[in-house]
Amino acid sequence: MNSKLRDFLVTNILAVVLGLTASGLLLLFLGENPLAAMGTLFGSLFRDSYTFADIFVKATPLMFTALAFAFTFQANLFNIGAQGQFYIGAITAVGFSLLLQDKLPGLLVLIIVLVLTILFGGLWGGLIGWLKARFNANEFLVSMMSSYVALNIMNYLLRTLLLESKGEYPQTNPLDSAVWLQTIVPGTRLHSGFILAVLSCIGIWVLLYKTPLGFRIRAVGQGKDAAEMAGINYKTLYVVAFFISGALAAIGGFTEVNGVQHMLVQGFNPDIGAAGIGIAILANGNPIGIIFAAILFGALKVGGTIMGQLSGIPSSITELMLGFVMVFVILAYFVREKLEDNREKAKLKKTTVNA
Amino acid sequence: MPAAPFVELRNISKYFAKVVANQDVSLQIRKGEVLALLGENGAGKSTIMKVLYGLYKAEEGQILLDGEEKVINSPKDAMRLGIAMIQQHFALVQAHTVTENIILGLVRGRFDRKHYDKIVAELAADHGFAVDPAAVVSELPVGVQQKVEILKALYQNAQLLIMDEPTAVLTPQESDALMNFMQQNTRAGKAVVFITHKLREVMEVADRIVVMRNGRVVGDLRKEETDEIELSKLMVGREIHDRTYVQDSGFGSRPVALELQNVSLREPKEELFRLKNISFQVHKGEVLGIAGVSGNGQDSLCDAISGYRRLTKGKILLNGENITAKSVRERIQIGIGYVPSDRQRYGLIMSMKLTENMFLKRSFEEVWVKRALIDEPKLDAYTTEKIHTYAVKATGPDAVARSLSGGNQQKVILAREVDLGSEAIIFDQPTRGLDLGAIEHIHRTILNEKEKGKAIVLISTELSEIFGLSDRIAVIYRGEILGIYKNRELDTEKIGLLMAGYTPGTAPETSQPCEQ
Repeated sequence: MNSKLRDFLVTNILAVVLGLTASGLLLLFLGENPLAAMGTLFGSLFRDSYTFADIFVKATPLMFTALAFAFTFQANLFNIGAQGQFYIGAITAVGFSLLLQDKLPGLLVLIIVLVLTILFGGLWGGLIGWLKARFNANEFLVSMMSSYVALNIMNYLLRTLLLESKGEYPQTNPLDSAVWLQTIVPGTRLHSGFILAVLSCIGIWVLLYKTPLGFRIRAVGQGKDAAEMAGINYKTLYVVAFFISGALAAIGGFTEVNGVQHMLVQGFNPDIGAAGIGIAILANGNPIGIIFAAILFGALKVGGTIMGQLSGIPSSITELMLGFVMVFVILAYFVREKLEDNREKAKLKKTTVNA
Repeated sequence: MPAAPFVELRNISKYFAKVVANQDVSLQIRKGEVLALLGENGAGKSTIMKVLYGLYKAEEGQILLDGEEKVINSPKDAMRLGIAMIQQHFALVQAHTVTENIILGLVRGRFDRKHYDKIVAELAADHGFAVDPAAVVSELPVGVQQKVEILKALYQNAQLLIMDEPTAVLTPQESDALMNFMQQNTRAGKAVVFITHKLREVMEVADRIVVMRNGRVVGDLRKEETDEIELSKLMVGREIHDRTYVQDSGFGSRPVALELQNVSLREPKEELFRLKNISFQVHKGEVLGIAGVSGNGQDSLCDAISGYRRLTKGKILLNGENITAKSVRERIQIGIGYVPSDRQRYGLIMSMKLTENMFLKRSFEEVWVKRALIDEPKLDAYTTEKIHTYAVKATGPDAVARSLSGGNQQKVILAREVDLGSEAIIFDQPTRGLDLGAIEHIHRTILNEKEKGKAIVLISTELSEIFGLSDRIAVIYRGEILGIYKNRELDTEKIGLLMAGYTPGTAPETSQPCEQ
């Protein structure tokens, strides 16, 4: 157990360091001083409260998409479609907010919109689980492709039903400030969606580790045959797990639309699903760990953007940096598996020799 | 006598992450000989051959070919050395034609389809196989697919052909044809290794027999020097000297608890029945022992009673109530406990804590839930109590199942199933692979539960266990019950014959008549 925890910390810290080093090497090719650049990156985070708060703004939707991946992962299912579920949530949020904002009080609209977001995102995700349960369709592929469908639904609606009144750009009208998620730190963009995200992480942790339903989901993930022999219907759970997963990613879309963008713009946050997977793996699938991993990614995102602005380094380098960190974090997972495997083998060899 | 060995395996050991699959296995394969590799499921037969074929890398040991040490890292190396293996699950590209499968990996660039179709057709004709070279594999029946696998090996001019349980998917006629082919092939100076757990086939086709048990070689015999009975004893374990009988509990006068009526089970898309017309009754306070060489339908029988598989035909009753349509979950609720033979796969979730494993079959019961959350204090207390009563060696209720020894894992399952199985309990190979202390503990538990008036089905390949615990004994062979006897009516000799598939009156000549 101790050696496992040690592996976990060492490999992950190493992964982050290696990711930053690799992107630092690329900076060398651009003729920049990587150390200075990294200094700007981390130093800039603390220059004012707006920037610092933005870390948490960026972390908010990441928590949701990471939860979406981590949740089905507990049932040994891969939800690669958080991006699409996120868009479905965003469409639902913007659509119903615009529809209801003049008719009902703001808070009531927000609650209704949240419920509908959960419903539509859940159904969108649940469909993947149902296809898996009913036809044994590969959930990896179905969820991945469903993202493209969602993206194109969004693009279509932005040019038709949801198109702004001016009709200039593929984007919606801005939302009335009554249906914005409330700012919790004045002078920053930090909104109440962040609190919702943290509460969701805690809630999902309770669901998974403290309730019978969560137990059954984990049981199917860790020992499907034993679970089935215990009378647990894994097919139902596939649908349930994907419903919850889809709903989580969709809430991320809601907090982005009603908390940050206050409108829906074509092609926004296109890498939020992929980043979520990296964060979930960095957190080892633990919902509480996701809070911290998402904040780390948020910091890299904010700092990277500022670094790009200040030092004239192309801002795309920050995407590269995140990419590198993510690749190394994922590699670290496999390194840990290998280490664990070797340890077990060594143990076994020792016992058979002594026997 | 045959010449020097073609292939020799010396002291091979192979460990998987958590189990020893082969330990110190040495054997020789000679040209012109059918070698049967006999053993129960999980005895390590396939593993050792996969090591030879380069699919697995052995931790220790050497492989010699014609007396020369070779390193085989992949099936490609093996094929280059003239070794071919037909897996239990075929390695064919379903969407390709027969010819394409056969020449796969042996041609480069453009190839003349007609030319190769002709070669394959000739090859098939030479061996009397009716195979159309242009047919797409996915459309062929299983028996023909196997012929394609064999043709693939022949095309590569394999000197050694390894077949893993080749008859498992075949009808009796197809099996006979396959046996013929094996003998022909060895007459042509090649070697065949035939992995199986079926005694009759071994006696029919093998020249030499290597028996494996628990990852080790326990016997290397020429066919002429042995018979089914000796082989079944080697396969199953030690001979029984000191037989003890259970007290007659007078179960006959008690009501029937569990009853099977003409139960048949067939996997979809398979021709063979896993279970054929099985009927028996188990009274309250009775242990019904089910003896048999493993792989004769025991797993399917458990699947049928536990509700894991739907019956193709027949009925199952508990206390007179028809439960055929009930799901696994419902059968747990009405009091059927089940201790599966593959405890690490079906009994426990190895990565979960003991408390969670105790909770596994109870997650739908409301008594364990408090305000929508799992009642952890109660579960902890319950698990701790069970750890004490069953003397489970564990650091506590939070210990992960994987960290326990096999015997202690089994005790955890036992504790759970004994409580759940208020009416009937199925024990499938409850003591396999355990040490003596654990075995004794489990035997005592089984007898205790019987005393409490539960109906008990004990499936075991260990004859001592069957004889020591059962009130009545049924023998299962190829999915059929060959007879149900009172314990005292059977002796080792008689049960050995039944286990090999010979019902009274059809005893083979190779076996000695009962001597007392």
